[in-house]
Amino acid sequence: MRFDVAVLVSVGRHPVSGRPQRADADARALELALRLTQRDALHVIHAGDPADLSLRDYLGMGVPALTVLRQPPGVNVLEPLASYLAQLRLALVLTGTQTEQGEGSGLLPYALARRLGAVLVAAVTGVEVIGTQMDVLQALPRGRRRRLSVTAPCVLTVERSAPVARQSAYARARRGTIEVLDVPAGPAPPPSARVQPARPRPRRLRVATGGSATDRLRALTETQSAGGRQLVHPSPDEAAAAILNYLVTERIVTGLDES
Amino acid sequence: MTRRRISWQPPPPAAPGTRLRRDPRAELEGRPAPASGSSVLGEPIAPAGRVRRDPRAERQERGQSGAPAVHATEPATPALAERITVVADPACWVLAVPDFGDGRLGSHDRDVLGAARLIADRLGGATVVLAPRACHEDFAALGTDRVQPVTLPATYDPEWQARAVLAAIDKLKPVHIVFPENLTGGGDVGRRVAAELALPIAPRVVRLTGAEALSAAGSNEYIRPWPRLLFIAAEAVEPPNGARREARVLEELAPITAPAGFEDHGLVAIDPASVPLTEADFIVSAGNGVTDFAAFHAVAATLGAAEGASRVVCDAGHLPRARQVGASGTLVEPRCYLAFGIAGAVQHLQGIAHCERVIAVNTDLHSDMVKRADLAIIADAQAVMPALIRLAERRRSSRAV
Repeated sequence: MRFDVAVLVSVGRHPVSGRPQRADADARALELALRLTQRDALHVIHAGDPADLSLRDYLGMGVPALTVLRQPPGVNVLEPLASYLAQLRLALVLTGTQTEQGEGSGLLPYALARRLGAVLVAAVTGVEVIGTQMDVLQALPRGRRRRLSVTAPCVLTVERSAPVARQSAYARARRGTIEVLDVPAGPAPPPSARVQPARPRPRRLRVATGGSATDRLRALTETQSAGGRQLVHPSPDEAAAAILNYLVTERIVTGLDES
Repeated sequence: MTRRRISWQPPPPAAPGTRLRRDPRAELEGRPAPASGSSVLGEPIAPAGRVRRDPRAERQERGQSGAPAVHATEPATPALAERITVVADPACWVLAVPDFGDGRLGSHDRDVLGAARLIADRLGGATVVLAPRACHEDFAALGTDRVQPVTLPATYDPEWQARAVLAAIDKLKPVHIVFPENLTGGGDVGRRVAAELALPIAPRVVRLTGAEALSAAGSNEYIRPWPRLLFIAAEAVEPPNGARREARVLEELAPITAPAGFEDHGLVAIDPASVPLTEADFIVSAGNGVTDFAAFHAVAATLGAAEGASRVVCDAGHLPRARQVGASGTLVEPRCYLAFGIAGAVQHLQGIAHCERVIAVNTDLHSDMVKRADLAIIADAQAVMPALIRLAERRRSSRAV
């Protein structure tokens, strides 16, 4: 049985210089796909300008060819992508969580999954295929991972928790071919947002209320006493018991409570 | 930078016999006056939404009832906290969909409730929280007007959650729905809802102004009038200020059928050393007071914690630079931080500013780390570490038998 995988790639943006480059999340999605499937069952698809040089970065990762659905800038590419993907009879679509250029609402994978009748799993760090079932590892906050089983077809979105993408080789990037398909352009989205340069926003401070002005200033500038428990010069065993009991009662560690 | 005037609405007419109190800041931000349906047991509400006190009337009342004169420094807040704001007939609903990670409201969830409160106040509406039936949070203290209970599966199923939100939208017809912005919680569920209803969204909202949402993306910010769905970034909006609201529980949603697709196998045990320090849940950290690094590594392995270090230890080459905690290393936010032999330089304390719990083992009783700690052990780390390993091993083996 052929197991067709599509990777949707976009043009990224260097976080400091703002130059176009391969998008980090899309490159990680391609990395997962390259580990998962044969090269001939892999479709790498971009909707946009085929002349963009940074698309060659994906070819340099070891993909022989890349398909570009020619689209003018700034249009909604859902319709062209969905109708193209529907022809391919895919088992799996991998893509980054959101684009790096423009606002990046992150809605495209969800709208695509709905159009393709596929299950969507967000923040995927690993995939394993067992028949038509897929074992998916999902990244959760605080480094936790959740294992899920989903049935094909499915759309998986990838972000920074996925394995780092391999380097792009210059010769391969030159050798790879870009196949251009002329498809009808998607609709232009209604202009809705005003754009302004971003300003750094400070993290929230815990503002002390009440007390005198001196107290409030002191609360902001000095190390605050947490009012915790103190054991002064305990024996090592007492200290160890105190630490371990604290960890157990706060449920930081499991299976170490006093029996 | 010049200050921009967003919109201005004429103030509402004053009641007969009273002078209208202006709120220039609210006018500048385009906030309307409080809804006519709002009342706090017949007390007036200031334009900012807080209950307006009348200390003179309160004093006179006390004098008439013959109660002893209360000392001026006694806080008036307990009496205020008892008052409950009731919005009987709101102009519109604002639905908040917190994550309830671990079954409780997190700080990001509280921010979402704050955002819903802010929007509802400006529209003269009321907030509804979509909450699992088994949830026992004090929603009244979190500025919630109504609670919409719903039965959700115990396992992870975002499709099911999205259907619950869709059912709530269908029932209440809220003007705005507020989600926390994240990858696998409300951000995921909310985008499923947006795709289903083909609604516009405001992603990663870092600021809510009078009638606009400000979304951060790369080096730009996108400003638009509040769309129907808003995804609030962490710390973008202050949580509700503690003024009590009704939090009336609505009738439960009709049972939602579970769509097939997901099978949840639960959390996977992972090697803590493979996780980046920023993501770690539990960190054991070494400072200049640690000389026995074999014992230190053994402690981290025994407790299943990620290893961290102070700058001195990384400079000396005992641990790689990637493990350095502090202003010049990594800013960490684990649930628990166990520090061996760290005195707590300002830069190091900045690195652990967002840790929930800190345990310090240090010989100096007056060090800043001991002040910061929730549990402080004044002892030598070299003596405590082997004892900790021995005790953990003993407890583990006694349970295994």
